[in-house]
Amino acid sequence: MKPAVSLLDKQPYPILTACKMHEIKIATEAAFDYFRKNSLTVSEIAILQPAEPFLDMAGEDLRRRIFMTTSDNGDSLCLRPEFTIPVCLQHIARGHTTPQYYAYGGEVFRQSCDAGSSFYQAGIEEFGAADEAEADARSLRHATAILHHIAPTRDIRMLIGDHAIFAAMLAALKLPDGWQKKMRRCFGNDRQLHTLLSELSRPAQSPNLPYTVSQLITHGNTQALAELIERQMLDNGICPSVGRTPQDIAARLIEKQAIADLHLDNTVLTALEDFLAIDVSLDKAEQTLNHFAIRHHLALEDVITLFSARIKAIDTQGLDLAELRYNAAFGRPLDYYTGFVYEIRDGGHKPQTLAGGGRYDRLLTMLGAPMPIPAVGFSIWLDQF
Amino acid sequence: MSVTLALPSKGRLKEKTLFLLQEAGYEIQLPADQRNYRARVNNAPDIDILFLSASEIAYELGSGAVDLGITGEDLLRETVAHPEKYTDIRLPLGFGHADVVVAVPDIWYDVYNMADLDDVAADFRQHHGRCLRIATKYWRLTQKFFSQKHGIQVYRIVESAGATEGAPAAGLADIIVDITSTGATLAANGLRVLDDGIILKSQTCLVASCLSGAHQEINGICARISETLTSMNF
Repeated sequence: MKPAVSLLDKQPYPILTACKMHEIKIATEAAFDYFRKNSLTVSEIAILQPAEPFLDMAGEDLRRRIFMTTSDNGDSLCLRPEFTIPVCLQHIARGHTTPQYYAYGGEVFRQSCDAGSSFYQAGIEEFGAADEAEADARSLRHATAILHHIAPTRDIRMLIGDHAIFAAMLAALKLPDGWQKKMRRCFGNDRQLHTLLSELSRPAQSPNLPYTVSQLITHGNTQALAELIERQMLDNGICPSVGRTPQDIAARLIEKQAIADLHLDNTVLTALEDFLAIDVSLDKAEQTLNHFAIRHHLALEDVITLFSARIKAIDTQGLDLAELRYNAAFGRPLDYYTGFVYEIRDGGHKPQTLAGGGRYDRLLTMLGAPMPIPAVGFSIWLDQF
Repeated sequence: MSVTLALPSKGRLKEKTLFLLQEAGYEIQLPADQRNYRARVNNAPDIDILFLSASEIAYELGSGAVDLGITGEDLLRETVAHPEKYTDIRLPLGFGHADVVVAVPDIWYDVYNMADLDDVAADFRQHHGRCLRIATKYWRLTQKFFSQKHGIQVYRIVESAGATEGAPAAGLADIIVDITSTGATLAANGLRVLDDGIILKSQTCLVASCLSGAHQEINGICARISETLTSMNF
């Protein structure tokens, strides 16, 4: 006799109540009403999408968080977990010209133990705008305007970050390339970034390498090293042109050697900590960044100029700069975000995220666009109203 | 109450398991027809023996279709949903030792640990126009280790049913996650285990299903095998 697992043992997914559904419907209608009033055409995005692009962009871990299925002929499909990637794919497939706006709204599906498995989103993506600062500001203004349209009395807080300033600061600190890349990958994840900083404060251990290899590394001879690696690959029946090439391996060995004896010193650590602690209203952000740059003797004029242009554009869009916060440590650890990022949160005690947006100039190229297309956009979480 | 005991259906694992049960005094009556997958125990008629593949044993323990089974811990952790909740490892049996490891081509002289691999994975698309590919049959263990433990997100898993060690040389994947006991097969295929690349140290275990009601019988068998193991070792 084998007792079967009772279905009741398993935690059922929460089900939306009729009342909640009604609230979401009203919020969705308000968003679509805003699109109509601003002559924004709404894109139709299929609910069932190819799964590969999502997994390629966000990584294998996403597999645990999306709903996947397989088509008759074996293609992996999933319920759309968000709109940005499908909008990009549609833009590329249809060969649309730029600049171009895409508005969208509807249900998205993600696995989550505690918050249900479907959510409602609406948003706008803008591709190929000539003036980046203006496009950034426009995106933020649209997001706040829709939130206001849905819930005119809602108290909101706006948080601004910028990947480009962080990247420029790392370059100005003259950190080795390998470290800059590592740090940029952690940007936006405080815990990971601080773990990394403490690791880099200690000298690294060097592994035991074959004598000939370590000799060439010591001499910094990338070319000879690559040739040696290529010979060894061929001797072992490995094709040097598939996957990592001898040049890749040689270059990284030399790069590792260059930083083997280095560790983050205190001046650099202080500058990094100082930077990450910057948290000011947007009207004071330019001044704060300039002071930071002067205090630590960093050449950040170019990137601060771009940042100020965006602040001016945001001001021109009619948003109150004193109400916006710039937090230097705020970012998204996904490699297609390139600059401006923002989040709009509830002003109350439980600061839920109401909307998230940002610039992702790398995404369209990564998805196969034949030329780089700058892009900025946002999504609103309609369930939060 | 009768108990279903699932045993590995082939290879060294089957031999060692049968030897252990004989030592424990169970007179197993193997079926006359080799293709029959059931057996009886002459001196313990309440035990039903079922020969299954090791990964099926893991799955059936999780689903409660068998009460007791002998299988690898790696398969249990890979195959069963909530292994801690639905299965109970009663005894490590001291054979079938194998580690689930992350192995890279030995020629990657610049990659010695997971932090190195993180750097390589992050740059991979930029250099090669695609993600780093990992060949494995251990989907779940790989995802947990890479994503949750080491924060490595951008990679793709290439499912490999067998001869995983050959995947990098064949150009099907860049690195592998696989099981190894002596490391000889990895070395023969030009692969090297990362310094911190051991995901799980596994061995063959006697495992009870938590969904089974035959507690007394299970405890009896476990106690007998435990005593046998002790006497075999000393």
